Amino acid sequence: MERLRRLFNLPATRFLLLGLPGTLFVIVFLILPIVSVIVFSFWRTESYEIYADWNLDNYRTVLFEGTYLTFLWRSIVTAFIVTAACLAYAWPVAYFIAKYGGRYRLLLVLALAAPFFTGTVLRLSALQAILGPIGVINMALGYFGLPAIEFLMFTKIASGIGIAYLYLPFMVTAIYLSLLNFNFQFLNVAKVNGAPPWRAFVNVTWPLNWIGTAIGITLVFIPCLAESVTPTFLGGPSGKLYGSVLGLQFDQTGTWALGSAMGVLLFAVCCVVIAAMWMTINLQRSGFTGAGR
Amino acid sequence: MATMRLGRKVTPVVLGVMLALLYVFLFAPVLYLVYTSFAANTTWPFPWKPNIEAYLNLLDLRAYHEALWNSLAIGVFTALLSMTLSAMGSIAVLKYRHKWRGAFSIIMISPMFVAELLIGISTLIFNRKVLGLPGNVGSAVIANTVHGMAFGFLIMMAQLVRYDWRLDDAAQVFGANPWRTFWHVTAPNIWPAMLGAFVITFLLGFNNLEISFYNLGAVPTLPSLAWGSLRYGLEPELFALAALVNAAVFIAFVIVYVLMRLGIVRFGYRGV
Repeated sequence: MERLRRLFNLPATRFLLLGLPGTLFVIVFLILPIVSVIVFSFWRTESYEIYADWNLDNYRTVLFEGTYLTFLWRSIVTAFIVTAACLAYAWPVAYFIAKYGGRYRLLLVLALAAPFFTGTVLRLSALQAILGPIGVINMALGYFGLPAIEFLMFTKIASGIGIAYLYLPFMVTAIYLSLLNFNFQFLNVAKVNGAPPWRAFVNVTWPLNWIGTAIGITLVFIPCLAESVTPTFLGGPSGKLYGSVLGLQFDQTGTWALGSAMGVLLFAVCCVVIAAMWMTINLQRSGFTGAGR
Repeated sequence: MATMRLGRKVTPVVLGVMLALLYVFLFAPVLYLVYTSFAANTTWPFPWKPNIEAYLNLLDLRAYHEALWNSLAIGVFTALLSMTLSAMGSIAVLKYRHKWRGAFSIIMISPMFVAELLIGISTLIFNRKVLGLPGNVGSAVIANTVHGMAFGFLIMMAQLVRYDWRLDDAAQVFGANPWRTFWHVTAPNIWPAMLGAFVITFLLGFNNLEISFYNLGAVPTLPSLAWGSLRYGLEPELFALAALVNAAVFIAFVIVYVLMRLGIVRFGYRGV
């Protein structure tokens, strides 16, 4: 008993008791499932049943047949454009909240999360009702005798607006959390030493907040890449993305093995993106001095 | 020099306007939903024909009650589980200098960078084909918790980095056991972060379509009900339900604002 107590009092034991549950949870309920997807991608499905005969046919289909790569490419381009747009808009907004938000800055950030209380499907259908052909914007333009904005109606641009609508708050929050721990006094130092505002931003603010920004970029880019719901509402017939096609393999055609191969490909692209972002992080340039005490 | 001084005055205004426009963009669809829920003509609700039939229908539509309860159950259990696991994990990683803390952090944050669609299909495959389990609320809670825990972990880490663990040491020096230390010293200091993790993970679970969709089979939730009714056009009752949820959230926000205004709660803000 005494021995047990001594063991319990060891920092290492405490660390494992607190840290292991979450870690094991992820390993069992995320990493094992992903491993099973990878295994299944080398198997074969026939009339809704999956058979364990190892082959590369699924990958051959995804990489060389049909339009799967076209959809993947379209998803990648969409993700690039939407992420860049979100980044350009999120930075000033997050900066404003962190610097001028004062005591209400938490409330201002929470207000960005408030639309999430309404489900994605409902918000997107409302967005469709605003942007679409008989939507608020185009009907209002028609009322004043102006031509309708064509590119808002069931196009890739409309779909991009919808995706940005869903993920922009994540980008703002990530940058805001970074700026929250940023010491704005550094800007005064830069100014005293003669740096114009843009120079202070490029050499001080941006690099010191790059980790938060990189997290924001990844948090927007990856769901964009896998987006399947938004194009259904806003994308029109030519706006279908890789995620929608991937989803179809599981809930309609029942070709699980092919879907698994598509999933593995998507996962691989995500890993490349994460690795690329990881390489851009230079801990010393980011002012990292060690977490905790 | 004069342009710089002008810039210093104008910049906050421009940034503020950008924030205001962002709120307009984010809330316009929500307001449209609320407006439409009170209209008789839902597909094109102009001019407005006031009508509260949708709200009355809501009272006795069984399918909606079931879906609402399922969504609430998924949301609450996901949030409780995520909050607990992420609080434990972040305390472990920040308080103890163990050689594995880097690895643990990376594993716990990693689900955030896996797309929801992938979490959905991989848990579907794992549960159905490897474990042979049917889809139900439990497996949806687990799959959502994987996702939510990573968000909770990030939120807790962002707040706890500034927590002074010497407070815990002090409590233990004076003879408090770990539980007492947590309840009387750590928790009172970190509860805003825990509440934040709870609220965000609740939202993620409550409204999740893609993760839950693949895990639930025929069990309805609010998002899956909306998704399913799409092909016949959305029913006004869904708008009414969303409007009610938003009204509740709005009231909660007003209460928080008033409490902050009166200085009763500060949510970790330590400035003036």
